[in-house]
Amino acid sequence: MNRPQKWHQWALILTAITAVVVLLVLPLVVIFAEAFAQGSGVVLENLTSSDMINAIQLTLIVALITVPVNLVFGVLLAWCVTRYEFRGRKLLSTLIDIPFAMSPVVAGLCYLVVYGGQGLVGQWLDDQFNVQLMFALPGIVMVTVFVTCPYVARVLIPLMQSQGTEEEEAAVLLGASGWQAFWYVTLPKIRWALLYGVVLTNARAVGEFGAVSVVSGLIRGETLTLPLLIQMLNEDYNTVGAFTAAGLLGAMALVTLLLKTVLEWRQSNKLNAAEETP
Amino acid sequence: MSIRVDNIRKTFGGFTALDNISLNVPEGELVGLLGPSGSGKTTLLRIIAGLEKPDHGHVLFQERDVTTLDVRRRKVGFVFQQYALFRHLTVADNVAFGLRMLPRAERPGRDAVRARVRELLELVQMESMASRYPAQLSGGQKQRVALARALALKPEVLLLDEPFGALDAKVRKELRRWLRHLHEQISVTSIFVTHDQEEAMEVSDQVVVMSQGQIEQIGSPLTVYEQPASRFVFDFLGHINALEGLYDGAVWQSGDARLRLDTHGACPDGALTLYLRPHEATLAKTPNDSAHLPVALTARSVFGGTVTLELEPRGWGDGVLEVELDRDTWDALSPGRDETLYLLPRSLQTVTCDGDLGPRVAPA
Repeated sequence: MNRPQKWHQWALILTAITAVVVLLVLPLVVIFAEAFAQGSGVVLENLTSSDMINAIQLTLIVALITVPVNLVFGVLLAWCVTRYEFRGRKLLSTLIDIPFAMSPVVAGLCYLVVYGGQGLVGQWLDDQFNVQLMFALPGIVMVTVFVTCPYVARVLIPLMQSQGTEEEEAAVLLGASGWQAFWYVTLPKIRWALLYGVVLTNARAVGEFGAVSVVSGLIRGETLTLPLLIQMLNEDYNTVGAFTAAGLLGAMALVTLLLKTVLEWRQSNKLNAAEETP
Repeated sequence: MSIRVDNIRKTFGGFTALDNISLNVPEGELVGLLGPSGSGKTTLLRIIAGLEKPDHGHVLFQERDVTTLDVRRRKVGFVFQQYALFRHLTVADNVAFGLRMLPRAERPGRDAVRARVRELLELVQMESMASRYPAQLSGGQKQRVALARALALKPEVLLLDEPFGALDAKVRKELRRWLRHLHEQISVTSIFVTHDQEEAMEVSDQVVVMSQGQIEQIGSPLTVYEQPASRFVFDFLGHINALEGLYDGAVWQSGDARLRLDTHGACPDGALTLYLRPHEATLAKTPNDSAHLPVALTARSVFGGTVTLELEPRGWGDGVLEVELDRDTWDALSPGRDETLYLLPRSLQTVTCDGDLGPRVAPA
């Protein structure tokens, strides 16, 4: 890498910095500024309102269920795609990307059609077990899982492909069972990438709006997650409330970003240490 | 423990990697599987280890059929070409891995594991590196750790896949002497795969030459070299010069070149190819009665006691011939620029028109 020397190189850098400030940093600052515009007392009042507490709880519960589910699912999927040669392997690895390619609203609608009260599966479940999936927690979790399911697998697949299977073969030759080989060899090899995938999954799970808004039914104090609450408060002209909730999400995003940076930093440190030969 | 491979066949899609291979490795021997890439040698090794399943045929350890036995129960030591060390574990933990995977009842205690690891690292001369990570080791050091790891469970069969393939020439030479020495110390039945003829010749008790999924010849290094069973084996073991010409029952001829050969009637009249090994000929300034093979010197390289010469046939044949002379002969010859020299073969291998090996002959 070179230091910039010519004026147009500096101009390019300046443009990039301006774009980042205007498009990314300023909005974030504005969120917090707006939230605290009428003093911290109002913020506290909004934070402790039952709707807000409900939304925070719901959002956390959704993330707490989604992340482990997609952690397991992602590892399984990456394992299948990188460890076995079978018919349809390429197709499977393309299908993983559906949630990336599809608009979340469409995903939400699909779930509504299939699992909703009038839907095929939904009706049957309602008749047989008196269970309602849509406009309730299960529906929200289902679409969130759908929307976030590619992250872990997508991070793991290229890594596991490049690492190959020889170390696992070596472990099995040394008497390890399949489970032991996974636990003592594969998992340590992929742990940082896995954590990175979890961070991404969590960020998306917490912030998902489109798909969730379709299946949530927008029942105040029951099925409103934080992003939905922001929308609702904004429509009610409760600016401080909306920005307080937005600030909460923003803070979560910052923590996530920090975590991701630390992970990347650890990863590269490890690599550097490894490359350092005596 | 002796190893027997019985009628093994293995295909990958439409490609036949192994075509009904049978092989016997007596207890305590060090056998080299030698062949070009794609000859099936690594597949055979992986089948013996249990990493691949054969389409049919059997693998027997000491007369016990292990064909369907799971990899982890075969108790073979295996060294991968790229070592496959566990990158997240230290050298000591890599070596201890097998011991720690043992079922609780058989697993040695913490101190016993540590003692065994120390013993193994001493054996491979790596005791000072115990707390390093694989990425901090050189290729040769990784290789030795991989070997120590493979020996940790005292396997009765040791399999090595291109053990020196990824190392530079000098380390390679050192390590293969060391492996030979180690094998004499611990005497475990061992099979190693290589595409390097010199390596196979130097290290093995028996060499198995393979080509296109079949075994071409099995024998001691000397036998394989001196009495090659097929043209492939002759071709594959060391460099050869192929001389093409016509034979009339007494004289072989090609352009200006003449060679009087007595084949005792073994070679029919007509086209006859002669294989000449670089060290089985000398050079002179004049032809003799039996050989008239004029050549011009195009290049020479002096390395140690041997001088390797590149020669261009004058008025016959095409391409470049390679001949090795010892230093004294070369010094005594000291040819001038552009001087015509004459090749005097000592021994030649005939190849009949159907491509098989004929008798070895000498100029008469």
